[in-house]
Amino acid sequence: MQVVDQGGDKMVLHVGPQHPGSGHFRIVITLDGDYIIDAKPDPGYVHRGAEKMAEYRTYIQNIPHLERPVIIDATGITLPYVLTAEKILDVEPPERAQYIRMIMAELNRIISHLYWLAIYGIFLGHSTMFMWPMGDRELFIDLAESIGGTRVTFSYVVPGGVRNDIPGGFKERALKTFQYFEKRIKEYEEIFFNNPLMQSRTVGIGILKKQNAVKLGITGPNLRASGINSDTRKDEPYCFYNKIRFDIPVYKEGDSYARCMVRLRELQQSMDIIRQVLDRMKPGPIKHVIRGVMRGEPGEAFVRTEAARGTMFYHIVSNGERFPYRVKISVPSFRNLIGMSHLLVGSRLADMPAIYWSLDYWPVEADK
Amino acid sequence: MSKNTITETKLVKGLKTKFNKQITEEYVEPNRIKISTSPTNLKAVALAIKELGFDQIISQGATDYPDDNLFRVEYHAICVSIKKFRRIMFAIMTTIPKNKPEIETLLDIWPSVEFHEQETFENFGITFLNHPRMERLLLPEDWDDIPPLRKDFSLPGRD
Amino acid sequence: METFEDFLKRILSILFWLLLLSPVIIFPVFFLLIPLLGISVPTTNEFLTALIDPIKGIQLANKYGVGPSSTFFKIAAFPGFTFAALIATITILYERKLIAKVQLRVGPLYAGRFEGVLQPIADLFKLLGKEIVVPEKADKFFFWSAPILSIGLGAALLAVLPLSPNIYIARSDVSLLIPFAIIGFSPLIVLIAAWASSNKFAFIGGLRALHQLVAYEIPMLISVLGVVILSGSLDLISIVESQQQVWFIFPQLLGAIIFYITILSELERVPFDIPEAETELVSGWLTEYTGMHFGLLQLGVYIKFYALSLLFTLLFLGGWYGPAFLPPLAWLLIKLFFVITIVILPRAVMPRLRIDQLIRLGWVWLIVLSFINLFIAVIEVSLGVI
Repeated sequence: MQVVDQGGDKMVLHVGPQHPGSGHFRIVITLDGDYIIDAKPDPGYVHRGAEKMAEYRTYIQNIPHLERPVIIDATGITLPYVLTAEKILDVEPPERAQYIRMIMAELNRIISHLYWLAIYGIFLGHSTMFMWPMGDRELFIDLAESIGGTRVTFSYVVPGGVRNDIPGGFKERALKTFQYFEKRIKEYEEIFFNNPLMQSRTVGIGILKKQNAVKLGITGPNLRASGINSDTRKDEPYCFYNKIRFDIPVYKEGDSYARCMVRLRELQQSMDIIRQVLDRMKPGPIKHVIRGVMRGEPGEAFVRTEAARGTMFYHIVSNGERFPYRVKISVPSFRNLIGMSHLLVGSRLADMPAIYWSLDYWPVEADK
Repeated sequence: MSKNTITETKLVKGLKTKFNKQITEEYVEPNRIKISTSPTNLKAVALAIKELGFDQIISQGATDYPDDNLFRVEYHAICVSIKKFRRIMFAIMTTIPKNKPEIETLLDIWPSVEFHEQETFENFGITFLNHPRMERLLLPEDWDDIPPLRKDFSLPGRD
Repeated sequence: METFEDFLKRILSILFWLLLLSPVIIFPVFFLLIPLLGISVPTTNEFLTALIDPIKGIQLANKYGVGPSSTFFKIAAFPGFTFAALIATITILYERKLIAKVQLRVGPLYAGRFEGVLQPIADLFKLLGKEIVVPEKADKFFFWSAPILSIGLGAALLAVLPLSPNIYIARSDVSLLIPFAIIGFSPLIVLIAAWASSNKFAFIGGLRALHQLVAYEIPMLISVLGVVILSGSLDLISIVESQQQVWFIFPQLLGAIIFYITILSELERVPFDIPEAETELVSGWLTEYTGMHFGLLQLGVYIKFYALSLLFTLLFLGGWYGPAFLPPLAWLLIKLFFVITIVILPRAVMPRLRIDQLIRLGWVWLIVLSFINLFIAVIEVSLGVI
C-alpha cells in the first residue's frame, strides 16, 4: 500500500468526485486518526459557465437555460430570474399569475426537500428513508407536472406571467395529496426523526453557532437552524407572500438535527401556503403578453427570492439589446459551501456525511 | 422620495455625511440602495456599511466594459440579524481600470465574500490583494485562455 | 430483448450439446486413459444409467465412497456446504423481497415467473460474467486469498453445527467452542483483504472492521456461557436436548438479546454496517473487489449468516424441538428463518451507528450485561429453576 508520509499518523483522503457520498464534487480531507483536521472543498467539476452562456441568449431562451443548474428546484432558480427580467423589461404580471408562481415555487420546495431527505436518509445508512421520500416525491412531481407539463424542468415562469393556467381539478388533487402526505410526515418522524439512533448521529453534530452563521454568509434553512429568523419570503416579500399567513420554522441549536427539522417543518409550511393560495386565487388572466422581441431599457436590476436551499440572487445588467449584457447569479449552495470546511474540521470522519448533506449542498447549483 | 424609502434615504445620508464627497449615490429605491465609491475608499466604506448592520455579502461580481476600458466591481450586502434592515439590499460599486485589475479584498470585513472573490478572480482576472487563497475555484486548474467572462472572450460559433 | 428465461434456455442447450458430444471427447479420456493408471472407473453403461436413474446413481456413488452416508457427501452437500449455500441464496432473495415490502417497493420481479425467484441465479451469472479486476498496486497473493479464506471460514463453521439429532458432519464434546474459535479468524481475513487492496477507503474500513469484530466477539462468547451453565455441556446436541422442556431463551433472555446484537455486529449488518459505510468509505474493505471475488466474499458472509442464525436457534430456541406433526428438520428450518427475519429487519428501520458509539456499546455495555447474564444463569442453576 502506498502511504504518503504526512508527518505523524495523518492521512489525506480525496472524497469525490468518484465517490457514492460526494456528488460531482471533491473534498480533500486530512485525517488525524478518526478526526478531520483539514477539509478543503474543491467544486467546479460541473462548471458550465451559465453566466457567460446567458449573455448569448434572449430573455426567453435564458429560462430553460438557467434552470439547468438546479433542476430539482427549477422554479426556485427561474423565478428570481424572471422577476429580475421583468424589472428590466418593465412588465407587471397579472394577479393570478403571481399566485400560480407561488404554487409552483412551493411545490418545487417540497420536491427539493424530499429529494434532500431521501439522500440524507441513505447518507446515514437508513435505506427506508431513502425509498419513502423518493416515492412520495413522485406525488408532488405529478402535481407540478399537471401544471408545468414536464416532470422536473418546467420552464414554467416566463416574463409577464406563467405559461399556462392550472388545470381543472387541480385543487382537489392537491388537497388529497397534502392530506395523504401529512400522514406520511408523521410516519417519517416515527421511523427517522424520532429514531434514537438517528438522533445520536445528528444531535450536537456539526454545530453552527449563530454568529458564525451570520459571519460566514450561511443562508436558507441552514441559517434558520442556527436561530436566525430570516427568510426572503418574509423579509422582502415577492409575489403575494405578504398576503399569506405563515411562520418560518426556526431552531436554535444549529446542529445537523436542527437543519433536518427546519426542512421537515418547511414541508408542512409549504403545503399550508399552497392551501391558502388555492383559496385566495381568483379567475383571471395569467399572462401579460409581450409582443415582439423582448428588449429592456439600458439599466440594471437585482432581485432575491427564497429558493429551497436559501436565498437565490440575480443581478442582470442590460444595455438595451436582445441579450442581457451581464447575468450574475449568486446561488445558495455556493454560499453555504463556505460553511462546510468550517463545520467539518474537528469532527469525525463518520460524521462527514451527516454534516455534508445537512447543508443541502447541491454541487451542480454551486458550479453553475 | 416616497414614503417607503425613508430608512434607505437615512442610511445613505448618514454615509454621505461620514464620507463627504467620496461616495456617490447611484439610486435609492424601495429596498434597494446603490452607492459607488473609488477603489481606495472601498474598504472604509465597506467597514462603515458593515457597522450599520449589513453583515452578509449575498453576491460579489464584476462587469466588463471594454469601451470604457474598466471593470465595475459590485458588492451586494444584506442584513440578516437586524429586523428593520432585512428587506434592504445594499449595493456598493466601484470601478477599476482594465489594465491594472487589482483591488483590496474585503475578506476581513465580510468573511462570506471569500468564494465570491475567488470566482471573480477566475472569471475576470481581477486580483484581490491580500486574499489568502487567490486561486482558481470553478475553472479547471490548467485553464490557459483569458478569463471567460470578459467581453473579449468569445464563444466559438456564437460571435 | 432476451429475457432471463431465454438466457437460461440458452445455457441449458449448451449443456445439452456438451453432454451429447461427451462420448466423443470425454469418455475416451475417462475410460481409456485413467484405467491405464490403475484406477477403477464406472463403465459407460453404469455412468449413463446413473445420470437418469437416481437410485442407480446413489448406488454408484456409494460404490465409490461418495454416497449420502459418506463424510464427503456430508461436507460437500448436506448438511454441509451446498445446503448452506442454498440457504444463503434463499436468504439473499428473502432479504431483498422483505426489505422491498417495508420500503413500499416490489423488489426483484422479472427473473423467473413468480416474484423474481430466479434473481439469485441471475446475479450469480452476472457476477461470473464480470471481469475480475486486481488493482495494480495490490498485494496479489493476499488479494486473491481473502475471498477464498472468507468462504473457507464460512464453510468451516458448518462442521459441528447439527441440524437434527442424527444430521451432522461431526460431533465433538466441545462443539460449541469450535465455531467461536473459527469466527476469531474473521477480523484477520478482513484485515488481509483491506490491506492487500491498497486503497485508503478499504484500509479505513478494514481497521473499523477489526475494531468492531474484536469488540463484539468477547460479549458474544460470554453471553453463550449462560447456556453452557444451564445445560452443563459444551456439546451442541446435548445443549439442544436439554431444552426439551424449556427453551433457553426464557431463562436466558438477556443472553439471547446480547447474542442477537453481536450477531448483527459480526455480520456487519445495519446498524453496525460501519466497515462498509457506503457514504463515507465507498464500500469499506470490499471496495476493490469485483466480479466473482466479490461474489465469494458475499457468499462467505451469508454462509456465516446462516451459521450464526443456526447457532442462535440451537442455543436459545430449542433447535429441532416442536410439536410432533412436523419432522425435526422442518421445525429447525422454521425457527431458522424466524431468526434470519429478525436479523434482517433492523436494516429497514435503522440508520448506521458511528464507530466510537459502537465500540462504547460493545466494550462498556455488552460486556457488563453479558457478565450480569452469567450471574443470572448461576443463580438460576443454584436455585434449581432449571
